[in-house]
Amino acid sequence: MSDPAGTSQGPLRQQPATFSTQLDEARRELRDDILRGHGGRAALARFSDRLDTMVRQIFTAAPRTEQPIAVVAIGGYGRRQLCLHSDIDLLVLFAGHLGADEEQALRAILHPLWDVGLVIGHQVREIDEFERLEVDNPEFLMALVDARPVAGDRGLYDRFESAFHHAGTHAHVVGALNALIDERYAFFNSTLYQLEPEVKESPGALRDLTAARWIAALTDPSLLRRGVEDSSRIEEAEDFLLRVRSILHLESKRNQNQLTHQLQEIAADVLGYPGAFPQQRVERLMSDYFRHARIVTRSLTWMRKAAPTPAGVNLGKTSDGIKFIDMRQAAVQPATWLAAFQATVDHSCPVADSALSLMRQYAERFRVEDFFPTPAHRTALLRFLKPAPGLYSRLSEMHDCGLLGRMFPPFQAITYRVVRDFFHKYTVDEHTLLTIRNLERLVAHPPPDRERFSSLLQDLREPELLVLSLLLHDVGKWRDDDHHVESVRMAREMFGRIGLSQEARETVEFLIANHLAMSQVAFRRDTEDPEIVRRFAELVGVEERLKMLCLMTLADVEAVSTETLTPWRAELLWRLYVDTYNHLTLGYGDERIEPNQPGNNALLANHPPDLAEADISRFLEGLPRRYLRLFDNDAIYRHVRLARDIHPDEVHLWMEQRGDAWELTVVTLDKPFLFSNISGVLSSFGMDILRGHAMTSSNGLVLDVFQFADAERFLELNPGAKEQMFSVLNDVVSGKASVTERLRGRERSLFNRRPMRVKPVVHADNTSSKRYTIIDIIADDELGLLYRISRVMSQNGCDVDLVLITTEGRRAIDVFHITKGGRKLSSTEQTELSAHLQHVLEGGYEAA
Amino acid sequence: MKLLKSIVRPNKVDEVKDALTKIGISGMTVTEVRGHGKQKGHTAIYRGKEYNVSLLPKMQIEVVVSDSIADDAIKAIIESARTGEIGDGRVFVLPVGETYKIRTGEKDSV
Repeated sequence: MSDPAGTSQGPLRQQPATFSTQLDEARRELRDDILRGHGGRAALARFSDRLDTMVRQIFTAAPRTEQPIAVVAIGGYGRRQLCLHSDIDLLVLFAGHLGADEEQALRAILHPLWDVGLVIGHQVREIDEFERLEVDNPEFLMALVDARPVAGDRGLYDRFESAFHHAGTHAHVVGALNALIDERYAFFNSTLYQLEPEVKESPGALRDLTAARWIAALTDPSLLRRGVEDSSRIEEAEDFLLRVRSILHLESKRNQNQLTHQLQEIAADVLGYPGAFPQQRVERLMSDYFRHARIVTRSLTWMRKAAPTPAGVNLGKTSDGIKFIDMRQAAVQPATWLAAFQATVDHSCPVADSALSLMRQYAERFRVEDFFPTPAHRTALLRFLKPAPGLYSRLSEMHDCGLLGRMFPPFQAITYRVVRDFFHKYTVDEHTLLTIRNLERLVAHPPPDRERFSSLLQDLREPELLVLSLLLHDVGKWRDDDHHVESVRMAREMFGRIGLSQEARETVEFLIANHLAMSQVAFRRDTEDPEIVRRFAELVGVEERLKMLCLMTLADVEAVSTETLTPWRAELLWRLYVDTYNHLTLGYGDERIEPNQPGNNALLANHPPDLAEADISRFLEGLPRRYLRLFDNDAIYRHVRLARDIHPDEVHLWMEQRGDAWELTVVTLDKPFLFSNISGVLSSFGMDILRGHAMTSSNGLVLDVFQFADAERFLELNPGAKEQMFSVLNDVVSGKASVTERLRGRERSLFNRRPMRVKPVVHADNTSSKRYTIIDIIADDELGLLYRISRVMSQNGCDVDLVLITTEGRRAIDVFHITKGGRKLSSTEQTELSAHLQHVLEGGYEAA
Repeated sequence: MKLLKSIVRPNKVDEVKDALTKIGISGMTVTEVRGHGKQKGHTAIYRGKEYNVSLLPKMQIEVVVSDSIADDAIKAIIESARTGEIGDGRVFVLPVGETYKIRTGEKDSV
């Protein structure tokens, strides 16, 4: 509700006299206290409260706005330590965007305070701004530690509190605070024994006291009780310093905090120090000052040493490792325990013994659901299982303190389990954990002979599922027969309890059920026989699973004993991987879905009511058979819906966020430059395409699925961004808009690129597929790469029918299946295209 | 006595072992080896890049047999390890002068 014109001037015009009187009265009261030598904590708190009353009155008189506002006291005002001439630090919070009404309300709050001559240090924020830390403004962040609500909407204030108070912010503020303390000490030559000390900034003065309290508040509040100095002595020191400061403000009539020789005499008199001569009284005053200042510095020094680095809710990093700040709270909150282990991975340190003992003592009281009560906890579990240095050590600690078996009950069944055979050298539980260590070793600095496997790991979309599969792959060994079948059964019991998605369940089940398959084929079958490779490729279906199974086999074989994974075996495994990968990625264009193919029966039988069987059959016909392995039934039905009633120049689109990435599905009808136009539009919005598949059916229907990263958070931050992107895709595909025009703004980043890290590879292959020339491209991953590659192909008259897009670390690996005039390229055409591609990839400018 | 040193495809080891067992030969040494003969490796392509697989993984099986059954043993190895394709391997036959049991120091009388 906005205030009618003119009335908003009311508070400005009518109330200064009232406020002025109120302020004068409050100041008179404080002056009296100061002159009696009592201008310390209690007096300043009373003065702050008087200011609160004024602020509330002003807020009430200010025009209302539709969106909530909160006025928050921060800094010294937040601590209720306002001196006579202190600045008034205020934060004015708005629930949403600042419009004209909000500007008017803001003026109506601030002007009356200015009019009465107060010095206001005000900050204005929209609540969403607290989602990002203002790292360039450490003083403001510190002032927020003392925030308290004064007027306005309490709910909005609570939102601010929860946005501000989390481990990441706390750790940053403590870091910045420590840097500022060092800087301030350096300014004062690191000594508190100043003859004319600054009672606010000098070592041992008020700023140190505040710093010590901030550190405790941000790391471990119990430090205040446990410090080297008794809390009553600290309070006494604070009261003394404030009483002195009050006198300085009163005498100098301004915000002056230096205790000069002249002011020392006045302060000694006001505070009633005895002595026949001023010098005697001053010496007694300063002796007290230094005594209190020493207490303050000792307290701060201890606090800085003892304070843990905030590492999560109720977690801090100390020299012993990650510990719980409040042990009693931790004992009844098992849902916070995993975060302790995650923090150790994030901070590269162990879990403190005190935390491990607590978990050892209480783990048995809890069930799986207690550890992962909410979807956020279950997501955190999967994040924790991402292969990273230290994961094996953490899992071993969890196992040692009995936690792993409580979190994963199937794992309990193989604790200390001994299975005698000729190969295994460790108990089943340790073998299992060693598989994870072997995987983890591929993450950072793998040995030269493992680099090729390490690159597979970098390419995995969900490597945590591989770790989960390894963790459960041998749990069936508590029985003596068919352990992989029993492992699958036991793993299934876990899936629901940790909230695994259907797709993830299928992957984990596949890996556990087939964890011996690849070693059997690689080491015991004739892998030079194409039929053996074809059958193995049929088993794994898609590259993602092949990579996972290959890594699982490597990690599993290596964990049997130190001698099991010989270079000889590693070579056999790699060769099977390469042969199968080539089979999956190069030949699939020749295998098309036929009408009435038996594999389609389940898909047709379970069709949703809005789709007819004929719709589904028509859609599937002529797509590569691989399509059925890539997508689950729900995704296929969605694609069928998108393909209904599609006409030339139309695009039907669907997009959703999947983890950190977005997934865009495009259905349209084939035409020249289509693929480069679509990928160009994504690049023009700053989207980095990570993975994807582009397929064309024999009847010209195009289905492209892109996964891309939105580093600039365009889709997240802009309302209507998705619709805007869809509209541009429509316009570009239909020819109403040019993608080249759109990309002009990004030309600098597209064409004036950073130096190449790897020399691009272009490889043309006319033998692997009966129908297509296959172009493999490996190049630095960068914005607009797919656009430039596919544009060159179209410019050379080629039709892009199938594309596989992969990103491995910083390398893009793209496989194009192309034709020209409906046939494979001749060797001259291949040479020309390859040279053109190489030129563009090596930085040659391609006139659009 | 003869030392039969056979280089075979990795997936053929079990078949060779079974064939030798059938004619009464049970002691053998099996080693993972890499090498090439006429097969000379081949060129594989992974992600557009060629790489040369010059040393192929093979298994080496060594058995010491008496002269009287050497021919049968050689035949058993060849029949069980053969696929008919290039890369099936070789059998080397070496004369053996004497053999001793390490545990007892006793000279074998084969």
